[in-house]
Amino acid sequence: MTAPALSCRDVTVRFGDFTALSGVSLDVAAGATIALIGPNGAGKTTLINALSGRVALAAGTIALDGRDITGLPAHARARAGLGRSFQIINIFPDMTVEQNLRIGAQAHRFRLQPFWRPAAAWPELAAQARAMAEMVGLADMLDQPVGRLSHGRQRALELGLTLMAEPRVLLLDEPLAGVGRQELAATVALIDRVRRGRTVLLIEHNMDVVMALSDEIVVMMAGQVLMRGDPASVRADPTVRRAYLGDGEAA
Amino acid sequence: MIARETLAALTLGAVALSVRLLWPDDGTLYFAMLVMIWSIFALGYDISFGLTGLLSFGHAAFFGMGAYAAAWTMQRGGAGFGTGLAAAMLMGAVLALAFAALATRVSGLFFALMTLMLGELVSLIMTTRLRGLSGGVDGLPGVPRPDWFGVDFFENRHFYWVVLALFLLTLLACGLLRRSPLGQALLAVRQNPVRAGQLGLDVALHRLIAVTVSGAFSGLAGALLAGLMMYAGPQTLGWRISGDVVIMAVLGGSGTLIGPVLGVVLVEALREWLSLYTQHTYGLIGLIIILCTLYLPRGIAGLWKARA
Repeated sequence: MTAPALSCRDVTVRFGDFTALSGVSLDVAAGATIALIGPNGAGKTTLINALSGRVALAAGTIALDGRDITGLPAHARARAGLGRSFQIINIFPDMTVEQNLRIGAQAHRFRLQPFWRPAAAWPELAAQARAMAEMVGLADMLDQPVGRLSHGRQRALELGLTLMAEPRVLLLDEPLAGVGRQELAATVALIDRVRRGRTVLLIEHNMDVVMALSDEIVVMMAGQVLMRGDPASVRADPTVRRAYLGDGEAA
Repeated sequence: MIARETLAALTLGAVALSVRLLWPDDGTLYFAMLVMIWSIFALGYDISFGLTGLLSFGHAAFFGMGAYAAAWTMQRGGAGFGTGLAAAMLMGAVLALAFAALATRVSGLFFALMTLMLGELVSLIMTTRLRGLSGGVDGLPGVPRPDWFGVDFFENRHFYWVVLALFLLTLLACGLLRRSPLGQALLAVRQNPVRAGQLGLDVALHRLIAVTVSGAFSGLAGALLAGLMMYAGPQTLGWRISGDVVIMAVLGGSGTLIGPVLGVVLVEALREWLSLYTQHTYGLIGLIIILCTLYLPRGIAGLWKARA
């Protein structure tokens, strides 16, 4: 039996007196895309922060491909193959698209960043940046300062940056947040391409997108896993409808 | 943009060279050496501040202890000037590493306060507990200059070449650093440490590296100042020195290669010129800082960028 690509056991996170996650256990099989849904404050982003090493656990363990990573800092988890994107666009604001992606390439390539030669002496860094720009549809904007990009383009860059670390497991925190209607379809298609061959945990509010992209859905509520199932059965479940999807039809 | 940076650095080098060739009188040379030595300090400082985004108020410790380290190795250890400089760089680096190990646990303003406190601690210990080593308030007079190839480096017009060479080397090293993967990574750490970490970059480690390198250049500058003045004293350890280098970096344009150097030129020239008319130089420089913060938020070097 192979270990799940990502697995957490009894994960508890507290902020002062507030318990944001209480005893969350979750396995994500290799190659699966799982959507996390739930009302605001359910602990979805906190779970992703806990998995990626942004917040410390009060209790519980996290394993990547069966290896315990609970004690590793964020950068070490990234090196181990765990990538994440952020709900609020999180890129290097005063750089061009190319510089952003190049930082991703060199952060992945060197554990200790070299200082004795200009970055241009490693042409593969720029080549990787260019290849990624093509992949996420930014090839014609390499020299653009990222501040001038549209929101959807910044989303694409955010995703591209995350991919520069060549993650096997991807945590996507609302990758469509703030993407305009006209850019939505392209961004969804991009995520769909990216998830192939990877294990993905996705937070998304747009139920059509969730239905289209995910193999399974995990519903969270008040810091706990409420239920887990395939998209159709989760959608049909009366508890979920009452708790989250809006109970207009069910009532 | 990068070509312009190179051009600006070359211009600085040419100006420094022409001072020696065209105005070799003692006062001018002394002033130019002072500017170049402080420029090495400011360039080193900006690796921590401008490049990595760590605002330190404790760099005087690395600068002053560099001066002392050079004085000790040459006066007590009988070593040559080159060894003295190496010892100063090592002292600056080790002390900076210790500061950074403690202070990078906190961020932003707390980092600044922590470094200020550590710097004052070093100054206090040196002036009270270690008077035997530091010479107390009198300092250590008689710091030697190099004794190479039978040239008399106690002549300022000869010592100038030493200072000029080290200034140009520092400028070159900082220019290379900024373009290297390390420099780019430090820039990324400044702009977005969370993202840098999530890309697999060890942010804490690279902050330590940045402050350590910054400390090494600060130590070098301190040693050169001791050589120039032929004196190492506790004044170089005080918070005022730390404040001066922050002001120079900010006024000139922190985060650019030549900005810190322009800041040094401006502040030293103002200090020289204003002191002819008034004793309140610091007050007037303070006023200029306020005006610059309001109207030149990116420093003198920002004037070029703004037009581009």
